[in-house]
Amino acid sequence: MTKAYMGKILMVDLSSGTMTEEAIPDSVYEQYLSGMGLGAYILYNRIPAGADPLGPENILGFCSGLLTGTGSLFSGRWTLVGKSPLTGGWGDANCGGTFSPAIKHCGYDAVFFKGISPKPVYLYVKNGKAVLKDAADLWGKDAVETEEKLKKQYGEKAGVAVIGPAGEKVSLISGVCTDKGRIAARSGLGAVMGVKKLKAVVLDGVQRINVQDPEEMKRLSLKCVKWTNFPMPLSLLPGVGLALMGTFMGATPVMFAQDGLLYKTILRTWGTGGMNQMSAEMGDSPLKNWVGSSKDFPLSKSKTINPDIIRKAEIVKYHCYSCPLGCGGICATKGKYSHTHKPEYESILALGGLCMNEDLDSLFYLNELLNRAGMDTISAGATAAFAIECYEKGILTNKDTDGLELKWGNTEAVVALIRKMVNRDGIGDILADGSKVAAAKIGRGAEACTVHAGGQEPAMHDGRGDPGFNVHYSVEPTPGRHTIGAHLYYEMFQLWKRVKGLPRPSLLFMKGSKYKVNKEKAQASAACSKFMSMGNGAGMCMFGLFIGAKRIPTFDWLNAATGWKFSPEEYMTIGERIQTIKQDFNVKHRIEPKNNFISRRAQGNPPQKEGANKGRVVDVEKLAADYWEQFGWDRATGKPKAETLKRLGIK
Amino acid sequence: MSYTISEKCNGCGACMRVCPADAITGEKKKAHAIDANLCIECGACGKVCPQSGILDGNGIACTMIKRSEWPKPEITVETCIACGICVDACPVGCLAMSERPRNKGVDAFPYLKDAKACIGCGFCRADCPMDVIAMLKPVKEKKASSEVA
Ligand code: SF4
Ligand code: SF4
Repeated sequence: MTKAYMGKILMVDLSSGTMTEEAIPDSVYEQYLSGMGLGAYILYNRIPAGADPLGPENILGFCSGLLTGTGSLFSGRWTLVGKSPLTGGWGDANCGGTFSPAIKHCGYDAVFFKGISPKPVYLYVKNGKAVLKDAADLWGKDAVETEEKLKKQYGEKAGVAVIGPAGEKVSLISGVCTDKGRIAARSGLGAVMGVKKLKAVVLDGVQRINVQDPEEMKRLSLKCVKWTNFPMPLSLLPGVGLALMGTFMGATPVMFAQDGLLYKTILRTWGTGGMNQMSAEMGDSPLKNWVGSSKDFPLSKSKTINPDIIRKAEIVKYHCYSCPLGCGGICATKGKYSHTHKPEYESILALGGLCMNEDLDSLFYLNELLNRAGMDTISAGATAAFAIECYEKGILTNKDTDGLELKWGNTEAVVALIRKMVNRDGIGDILADGSKVAAAKIGRGAEACTVHAGGQEPAMHDGRGDPGFNVHYSVEPTPGRHTIGAHLYYEMFQLWKRVKGLPRPSLLFMKGSKYKVNKEKAQASAACSKFMSMGNGAGMCMFGLFIGAKRIPTFDWLNAATGWKFSPEEYMTIGERIQTIKQDFNVKHRIEPKNNFISRRAQGNPPQKEGANKGRVVDVEKLAADYWEQFGWDRATGKPKAETLKRLGIK
Repeated sequence: MSYTISEKCNGCGACMRVCPADAITGEKKKAHAIDANLCIECGACGKVCPQSGILDGNGIACTMIKRSEWPKPEITVETCIACGICVDACPVGCLAMSERPRNKGVDAFPYLKDAKACIGCGFCRADCPMDVIAMLKPVKEKKASSEVA
């Protein structure tokens, strides 16, 4: 194959122990790319309607990107796919590190698992041979220990993906870990791996990934590096300067359209944590379980998570495979664990601001604890915040919490609670499946304290500050997802510079205009979904895509790697197809799209009384109907129309 | 195109031992064969075969080279973007990213961690998007250490 993809998948039946190699026709790649697209195509066709996500019929897939290993940059992301036990519908989780090329070096674009193994096993693939091996001595070990043990045995070169104890204990908010702390965390797919008794996947191949036009790939990559290296004075600013920018942006009624070069500079200098204080100030981070505002978590409190302090702990930058930017970092920490991946913005705000916890040492500790347990930091923090609100309102008492005083900002209690969740101990057993399941078990009106979309806790981006987040949290086939679209993302993707017919946002606008429902908004949201679905098929990192569609040559890389001659519009149609097959997967599995709308509290119902998002209300229902219409899905129900499925060739 | 083995093969097995892709099979003292589906054209077999019995992808016979003279990667770290593509491209895992940042920098850098394992295939050079790797015949045993840069 000299078309960037390997043309084959491996299907492992864990119940019988049989393994089948399957050739995938070119037409599938031409319609769905690889990665998430290939995963969606396989799962749509092979998981029977209504299958139990924790039963043998569910299929879990590890999918590499079409552009992974082709000489392109920002293309080292892989997608974990499966029916989500957390939402009951389409599930996927995206992860960086070095695992994506490891899949292709084994000669596959994706490896899928069905069935349930009678005992703990792991898959080992080397040079054309795949075997299931006994994992009795790995079961119970944390994610980092497991990876270290396997790499000691098979060499550092092997790609290793594992579950930690949270996945083994079938926590519905657990994920799959690679590279000692990168985690495909969302959708609760670690639980699927756990219930299948699959502890690890070890991929140790050396197959080459060949492309049509290697020279053109290099030329395009050099062009991309020109932009990632583009010097921006912002990097000289102290972290507190970013915070003050956030304060200004939170207060001003007028806004500028943003250029992704600003954000790439923040990522390069500080990582995602560069946004810590800025987001809290400008109304981007939800605080105090989405009830609070920047008034509750002012600079005097958030100063402990000043990105400069976090940067001081950084020993060296961490780059995912093929990334020229390096937003990650390896940090030295105090206490039990000596090293940790630099805690991400999401983790810090979920375990910090959302719980009103200001203690930075605890955030470093919890980050590593959760990475090792293989539990989603966003959902863990959000569920802890939910529990705190329940406690403060008297829905939970000391009797329920084994004496933990779950008060806002009580660091010790938050740490103890998360430890209980990881171990499924006491109240932790109830909370280990996320806030929606916990609220149903607790009763007594606890549901009113949850913030979720279809069962998934949303990320630390407030849709009352950027209504685009609320649209995507509510309408995506993977509800609660923050890595697809927003008002801000649309500005940064700069798609209108490459794709015909898309609206160009105004450079200067009144903030209030973001909340008006109109056709341009729907077009922009739909374009974000199509673009990111396409990007996830290609294995692209969203942070790379933020730099702008004209600067980061995704479409051109795809053509040079495969030899296709598709236009940007045709690539957007591929994204549309991937998005629609995921939506139809949900319909097939009896998800009512309307039931995935984000909780009313996060819609601004009731509106906030103070802070950057004071008075803001987002009309999710109207926005969703317009969005659905853009895709040819029914305006009232969100279900893809028969003619739409036919047009896209989805059968 | 895959490498192949000609009738000159006397079954010594040297190629089989060096092949990182497990592409070569054959019994001792009997003719060996290369599985075209597994061969990655790294050329290691051609460099160890004492019979010149290995033909490259173009059907040209390879000549044996003393292992100490196999080319090795020299990396100009100043212009490296730390993408790690070279480390991943190496079929024998002899490259690694450093655990400490480079001089006056914040990023790690690739270095030849296990010079003995290097088969001189040049995949790292071919795949480096920045073209900062050269494959050079070692002058003398150089120290391979992460402290060099
Ligand atoms: S060229 Fe490399 S991969 Fe191919 S048979 Fe020879 S040693 Fe093995
Ligand atoms: S492939 Fe080139 S640019 Fe990337 S890490 Fe290796 S030497 Fe540096």
